[in-house]
Amino acid sequence: MSLLDFARGPGLHWAFIIFVFGICWRFVGTLLIARRIKLSTPRRTDNWLMGLKAIETRSWPVEEFHRVIRFQHYSGYIWHISFFIVLFFFQPHILFFKSILGISWPGLPNDVILVVGAIAVATLVALLGRRLSHPVLRKISNVDDYISWLVTTLPLITGFMAFAHVGGRYETLLALHILSVELLMVWFPFGKLIHAVLVVPSRFQIGASFGRRGVRA
Amino acid sequence: MSLNQESFQEFREVIRQLGETVQPVEGLTDNERVRRAKQVFLTRVHSAMAMDLETCIHCGMCAEACHFYAQTKNPKYTPILKVEPLRQYYRRELGPHRWLFKLVSRDITAKMLEEWQELVYDSCTECGRCSMICPMGINVSAMISVVRQAVAEAGYMPAELRAVEKEQNEKGTTFGAGPNELKAALQKMREDGVDVSIDKDKADVMVLISGFGINITQDALLATVKIMNHLGVNWTIRTDAYECAHFGMLSGREQTLRNSTQRVINAAISCGAKTVVTGECGYGYTALRWEGARRYGKPLPFTVMSISEFLGQQLQAGRLRVRKVPQQKSVTFHDPCKVGRIGGVFEEPRALLNALGVELREMADPVQTNWCCGGGGGVFLNNRAAPLRQAAFESKRSAVVETGAESVVVSCDSCRMTFEIGKANAHWEIPIESLVVLVGENLAD
Repeated sequence: MSLLDFARGPGLHWAFIIFVFGICWRFVGTLLIARRIKLSTPRRTDNWLMGLKAIETRSWPVEEFHRVIRFQHYSGYIWHISFFIVLFFFQPHILFFKSILGISWPGLPNDVILVVGAIAVATLVALLGRRLSHPVLRKISNVDDYISWLVTTLPLITGFMAFAHVGGRYETLLALHILSVELLMVWFPFGKLIHAVLVVPSRFQIGASFGRRGVRA
Repeated sequence: MSLNQESFQEFREVIRQLGETVQPVEGLTDNERVRRAKQVFLTRVHSAMAMDLETCIHCGMCAEACHFYAQTKNPKYTPILKVEPLRQYYRRELGPHRWLFKLVSRDITAKMLEEWQELVYDSCTECGRCSMICPMGINVSAMISVVRQAVAEAGYMPAELRAVEKEQNEKGTTFGAGPNELKAALQKMREDGVDVSIDKDKADVMVLISGFGINITQDALLATVKIMNHLGVNWTIRTDAYECAHFGMLSGREQTLRNSTQRVINAAISCGAKTVVTGECGYGYTALRWEGARRYGKPLPFTVMSISEFLGQQLQAGRLRVRKVPQQKSVTFHDPCKVGRIGGVFEEPRALLNALGVELREMADPVQTNWCCGGGGGVFLNNRAAPLRQAAFESKRSAVVETGAESVVVSCDSCRMTFEIGKANAHWEIPIESLVVLVGENLAD
């Protein structure tokens, strides 16, 4: 079995199983920890609405904090959006999804994908530089932060290499690209990348929790 | 009326010597300290908190919301870092992937808990501002409170807090303000012709005051009595349960908090109170209003209101009648964190100020993200933290100065003390006024 066969076959198969099972395990395991029943009389009973509102309001820098946190917010948006554009609108990726899901959608020209991919990598590099140089981020960062950065950046780098046929045989580069995606999928349930799943309930619960006290959060 | 400066200076001296009245916690092995801390984590972590612990992306934004970081730029004051002992415990022993993290991560140690004492006691007022900034919606402040409790149970707590917590646990009092001192203060009011309702068997409204009110902020105590008489409600202060402050909550000692809460609940039930009004005490309000039922084990059989909330509602109902303050002046209102951001009381104190005819100049940050004064969470008592507290106070001072207001109105004794200490240290000339005193001095005939 060649490296590419492994990456396309059992590698992808097991990465997917770990990805899905790991996420479910972590999400359900978190929910199964004893819940705290609130016995105090709520000031507002429409707190679930405030929970839903918080999902939206926490998506943007709150006005009073805007000046000090806008870089993190907007750089986060730039890299997330560019990453997903590359993931879902690069023609070979669409073919891959079609082979699995049976559906396809229009893609973007390669030139556009290259530019967007470069923006994603540049933003990730800038964010890493900030993490290494900003005193707060350096202080609070742990291994997870750096592994998560690495496994997120590698698919973009190997993707570029495979696209440009730079650094080895195409089959080998393609295999490395697929393996890097699998690495991302395997790490996803264990590190901080899980926030992609948990961010919605987390935002909801703070909005609802403060909301029952009558506080907009 | 301003604060009685003689009492205030005496109180500052009491604070300076407070830590010398208790001995450090000794005789605990490191293993025992860690075991106790873990027991706290085990019992306090719930599903919502677990979600928060799982979701953090280490973006560091919470640092920007913290007045201790904002003023010092020291990264160790980043709020999420203060949660680290809890996070380490959670990942290794409670989280869904503990089977993995047990193999690859370090356990918490007594040394770590000792080091974290400064981070959770000296440089955190539990003001909750960090919880308002997190893009993931993590309630950072609630987790720091849990770490504080764990550190306390491990035997690491500032001596000043331990002294008052011990007093409240053993005697039910704070700062030596016992029932006799309360009776003496109320008797003096009677001699001045003020009717005082004390120890009534049946009352609709039971009022709580703090040891501060007896010792230092007597003006607020007098105003409270006058206002309650003005309202004409059937009210009382109970000498068996008058203390509003909860040093169990401030210090992180659950048993003390449970006892002080139960004492108030028992007295309120005994006199059939429909409403319990907490005096100008931030922790007193949140401990009873939002946490009381949990410790009681079921919903409280009475309503809990902060005094600013109660008076605001009485005003809106037409029972409280105030006149415009004699001299037109501009004020800014400082929302106590535990009553405002954590408690949800924003409109009523502003309605009172509006009725008093003062020009209210709001600070730049909206009410729910108002800067803390820097003294919450017992920091105002912590001598070791005095320089840090003063630094943090600058965030508040700047916000006040920007408004150009002639005075600051507060509605929390501990905030009032912090403002008085902070302004004295900064040589800042501005009157600090109690909302209740302002109302009490301007009751309509």
